[in-house]
Amino acid sequence: MLLDVKDLEVTYGRTRAVRGVSLSVAEGEIVTVLGSNGAGKTSLLRALQGARKPQGGKITFDGRDMTNASPATRLAAGMALVPEGRQIFVSMTVHENLLMGAYLRGEGGLDRDLDAIYERFPNLATRRDMKASVLSGGEQQMLAVGRALISRPRLMMLDEPSLGLSPLFVAKLFALIREINDGGLSILLVEQNTHMALDVAQRGVVLELGREMLSGSAAELAADPSLAEAYLGAA
Amino acid sequence: MLLLQQIVNGLMLGSVYVTVAVAFTLTIGILNFLNFTIPTLFMLAGMVGWGLAYFGLPFGLSGPLPWPLALAIGIAAAILCSLVVERFTFRYLQTKYGDSTEHAIPLVSSLGFLLILENLVRIAYGGDAQRFPGPSGDLTAEFGGLFFRVPQLVSFFIVLALIVGLAWIMRATRIGRGLRAIAENPDAAAILGVETGRVVPMVFLLTGLLCGLAGALFAVNYGEVSPQMGEDIGSKAIAGMVVGGLGSLWGAVAGGIVVGLVEILTVHFFGADAVQVAVWGALLLTLLARPQGLFGHNAIGKGKL
Ligand SMILES: Nc1ncnc2c1ncn2[C@@H]1O[C@H](COP(=O)(O)OP(=O)(O)O)[C@@H](O)[C@H]1O
Ligand SMILES: [Mg+2]
Repeated sequence: MLLDVKDLEVTYGRTRAVRGVSLSVAEGEIVTVLGSNGAGKTSLLRALQGARKPQGGKITFDGRDMTNASPATRLAAGMALVPEGRQIFVSMTVHENLLMGAYLRGEGGLDRDLDAIYERFPNLATRRDMKASVLSGGEQQMLAVGRALISRPRLMMLDEPSLGLSPLFVAKLFALIREINDGGLSILLVEQNTHMALDVAQRGVVLELGREMLSGSAAELAADPSLAEAYLGAA
Repeated sequence: MLLLQQIVNGLMLGSVYVTVAVAFTLTIGILNFLNFTIPTLFMLAGMVGWGLAYFGLPFGLSGPLPWPLALAIGIAAAILCSLVVERFTFRYLQTKYGDSTEHAIPLVSSLGFLLILENLVRIAYGGDAQRFPGPSGDLTAEFGGLFFRVPQLVSFFIVLALIVGLAWIMRATRIGRGLRAIAENPDAAAILGVETGRVVPMVFLLTGLLCGLAGALFAVNYGEVSPQMGEDIGSKAIAGMVVGGLGSLWGAVAGGIVVGLVEILTVHFFGADAVQVAVWGALLLTLLARPQGLFGHNAIGKGKL
C-alpha cells in the first residue's frame, strides 16, 4: 500500500473530530472519503498532511512512518494536498502560485513541468501574469490542482474540490481527476458529491461524526441502501 | 534656492527614516507584528560602533578601531541581536502558545527588549550623547548651486540600493515568495512545504541589517550617537510607515521621505519645537483622508507585501 492509515484520532480540545479511522490507498488507486459536514473529513486530511498532530494512530506512506513528520517532509516524500476552499494566494500571480507548488523541489525540469501545466490548463496560460484573484472559482480550483501537481506528488489528496463549482466545471474536474490518475498518480478524494466520487473511485470510506460508518468498493457503496438513504437521496 | 536646499536636506534625513520604516513595515506586513526592538537595533549599531571606535574591543582586546570597521561590527551586532529576539521571544512564544502573532505578547516582549538593551547600553557607556568620529575634511559637493555632503549622498544611494534589492528579493526569489506566502496565508504556505521556523528568521535578519545600516549611516552623517537615539527615529519611522500604508514597502519609502521633508521644512519655517506637532499632525491628516495610508490596501496589517 502507498498510504496506510491505522486507527487515526484527531481531537480539538474536547471535540473528537476523527475517531479511530483506518484506510489505505494503493499505488494508482482512487479512494474516496464521503460524509456530511462535520463528519471529520477535513480533520483527517489535516492529520495526513501534517498540519494537525494526531492524538493516536499511525500514518505510513510508502513504507515510511509519517505519523509525526512535518508537512514539508511529507510533501517531499510525495504527499500533496489540494486544500478545502482552494487556498490559492490571491496576492500573487498565477505563475507565482505555481512556483509556490515548486517551493520544495529544485529547478530541475521545472520549466518543462510548468509548460505541461499551462498546456493542460490554457485558461491559466493566458492569465499567467495576472493576480490569481481575477480567476473564476473553477479556474482557481484548476490552479490549486496545478500547484499540487507541480510538486510531483505520488499521492494527491483533494478536499471537496467540487464545492461551489458550476456543473460544467464539476464535470471538467472529475475528468481531470481521472486523467491525472491515468498518468499513474494515486488519489485520496474527499467529497460530498457522492455520485461523482463513487463514479471515479475504486473504493470508498463513509465517515459519520468522526467514525467509519461504511467502507468497501465503490460499487458496493453505491448499492448500499443506507448510503442511498442518507446521501444519495432522491438524486 | 534656500528652500530647494532644505528639500535636499529633507530627502537625506528622510532616507534614514525610510530605512527604519521599511524594517517596521516588513515585520508588520509578513508577521503582523509591530517590532519595538527596531529603534534599539538602530541605536545599537551606532553605540557599539562608537564604543569600538572610541575604546576598542571590550576587555582590552584591542585599541580603538577605525570607524568604518567599528560601524561594520555595530551592524553585525544589530543583526545578531535581531536574531536573538526572533529566537527567544517571537519563535519561543509562537511554538509554546500557538499563533501568538495574533496577540500582544510579542509586541510587549519586544518592548521589554527595547528597554533592557537601551539601559544596558546606558550602563556600559553612560547616558550622554557622544560625538561620532566620521570622515574628516571638507566633503561637500555642489551641483547647480545645491550643496550635498558626500557621505550623505553616498548614504542615500546605499539606502536606495538596499531597498531596491529588498523589493527584488520579495518579488523574484524563492525565499521572497515563501515570505509573501506566509504573509497571506500561513496554512496554505505550510501545505506547500514553507517552514515558518526557517523562513521567519530571514525577516529578522533583514530587520537587523536595515536598522543597523540606518544607525551606522546616521552616526556618520549627523556625527552624534546616544543610547536614546533610537526613540526619536523610531517614532518618526512609525509615522512614516503609517502615512505610507502599513505593510507596504514602497509606502514606507514614500512615508519616510514625507516625514523627513515635513521635519526639515517645519524647522525652516516654524523652528524645531514644531516638528513633532507637524509630523504627527500630517499623519493624522493623512489618516483622516486615507485611513489605509498613501500606498496601503484596504485590509490592515498582514498579507500585503
Ligand atoms: N479548528 C477547529 N477547532 C475546533 N473544532 C474543529 C476545528 N476544525 C474542525 N472542528 C470540528 O471537528 C469536527 C469535524 O470537522 P471537519 O473535519 O471540518 O469536518 P468535515 O470536513 O467533514 O466537514 C466538527 O465538529 C468541527 O466543528
Ligand atoms: Mg471539510
